[in-house]
Amino acid sequence: MTMLKITDLHAEIDGKEILKGLSLTVNAGEIHAIMGPNGAGKSTLGYVLGGRPGYEVTGGSIEFDGQDLLELEPHQRAAAGVFLGFQYPVEIPGVSNVQFLREALNAQRGQRDEKPLSGAEFLKLAREEARKLDMDAEMLKRPVNVGFSGGEKKRNEMVQMGIVNPKFAILDETDSGLDIDALRIVGDGINRIMRAPDKAVLLITHYQRLLDYVQPDVVHVLADGRIVRSGGAELAHELEREGYAQVTA
Amino acid sequence: MSVIELPSTREEAWRWADPDAIATAAALPRAAVSLDVAGHWLDLPGARIVVRDGVIDTAASDLARVELRSVAASDHALGARATGAGWALHLAEDAAAHPVQIVHVSTGGANHLPSEIMLADDAAAQVIETYIGAGWANRYLRVTLGKAARLMRSVRLVQDGGFVSLREDAALGTGASLVTIFLGAGAAGTRIDATIVAGEGAFADYGGALLTAGEQKQECAVTVRHAEPNGSSQQVWRAVAADRSTASLAARVEVARHAQKTDGVQSLRGLLLKRTATVNLKPELEIFADDVKCAHGATVGELDARALFYMESRGIPKSRAQALLTTAFVADALDRIGDETVRDAFSADAEAWLGQAL
Repeated sequence: MTMLKITDLHAEIDGKEILKGLSLTVNAGEIHAIMGPNGAGKSTLGYVLGGRPGYEVTGGSIEFDGQDLLELEPHQRAAAGVFLGFQYPVEIPGVSNVQFLREALNAQRGQRDEKPLSGAEFLKLAREEARKLDMDAEMLKRPVNVGFSGGEKKRNEMVQMGIVNPKFAILDETDSGLDIDALRIVGDGINRIMRAPDKAVLLITHYQRLLDYVQPDVVHVLADGRIVRSGGAELAHELEREGYAQVTA
Repeated sequence: MSVIELPSTREEAWRWADPDAIATAAALPRAAVSLDVAGHWLDLPGARIVVRDGVIDTAASDLARVELRSVAASDHALGARATGAGWALHLAEDAAAHPVQIVHVSTGGANHLPSEIMLADDAAAQVIETYIGAGWANRYLRVTLGKAARLMRSVRLVQDGGFVSLREDAALGTGASLVTIFLGAGAAGTRIDATIVAGEGAFADYGGALLTAGEQKQECAVTVRHAEPNGSSQQVWRAVAADRSTASLAARVEVARHAQKTDGVQSLRGLLLKRTATVNLKPELEIFADDVKCAHGATVGELDARALFYMESRGIPKSRAQALLTTAFVADALDRIGDETVRDAFSADAEAWLGQAL
């Protein structure tokens, strides 16, 4: 079943076209990797899917789970099941992780006409997810990402993903800034939370190394705003060996 | 021309003052409205004092340890107008009183009231004041703290209109502590004007949050003077300005020549909810001693767009994300209120304000 269908997508920032006719289909149960050189438009694709202000879609369509994703506000996209894992998770002084995530989860549940979780129910869930990702539960009480190391921020993204339990995750360079142990924990987290017949993942990455832990079903090469090649997991190895220039030539 | 004579706005300390707003407030006719005083009491033991148009309503008040007496006059342009009989809280050595709550009700016109808090050595008190109604409420407070005496004051300005002007002169004895936190979350114009003189090892925490909307103007002009060594002070002010409003924060620290080892922190931050709003910040340091630590910061900005999108992308609607970020911004100032009941009430007022402004 098709989960995400992007057709001939054009998008620009400050009048500069970044995505130039990108098409991509992701089916439920699949993990896709998007690789490509710097400036190819990988992060732009993530932000356009998330609905970040300033990223203007000038053409094409994005269908998610049968609805027009571009019609939805960012928070409605989240409630529809889209999760955007940030390359640079944002620090929010004065708002605790617990408060932030409980607000987020209950806002999503409210939009889906589900009952909100009580403080106790939420804490139990949050502690459980933190434990599974080897994050100190004390960090849940701290302001969102404030004073967290790069690796801790990425791990916190995965804890958030575990708590909101999305249908579809776009993970933008979740592997950057992680040491070997953290990479394995994050990789295991992606598999545990998202590897399911009714879910799908778009992994945006520069490197093969995360793909050693999270086996992709399809690998795409994004260059100059378009998908220029697609293949199986072996394509990532080929890129690692030969470089983007060679493969996209 | 304004009918209220104040020093010229060409004088630095009165630069952002708004005498016309005071005159307009003073000209508001007294209205025979019944204002809900009961809803403003916090669930705390101790004195409950109702001040109606500058007159203490003894029938409606429980004065407890507060007395009515004449207070020495101030020579300040605003403070000097509040003379004669007022309220006073005098505590003897080692004494501690239950919290004193005062609700100031203004129904129109101008009203003035002086007051005095004198705590002898090691005495401790807490005072919570709330301003409601309209008109011009002008207050003078003289604070004298003995050795190691402690005073916590929390003042919320939630008048529906008019103007509130507060002038305070405080003298802190050796090792004394004065914490005063303001919340301006009403629709009245405001001037908070104070001079605090800190003795040896004394601690002054003087700050708050001014939230402005519409065409409203609120300002503070506060000076903390370290006259003796080893003192410390904090001035944490937050301003949130919506619509075409103006919030002005002028905070000054003075360190006398022999006031070595003074530790002063000054943090003035403004948040513009609309680009048509104005926040003026004026941090001032005047230091004559050479072995002191005085940190200061002053910034004005808008809500962090990246943080907003991050929160939205997790499912939080934009208006709620804005409220969470703004609440966190204001909390820097309100979290300094030590009493949980008072802090919660002030935070709730700030949240209610944000609910309307955003």
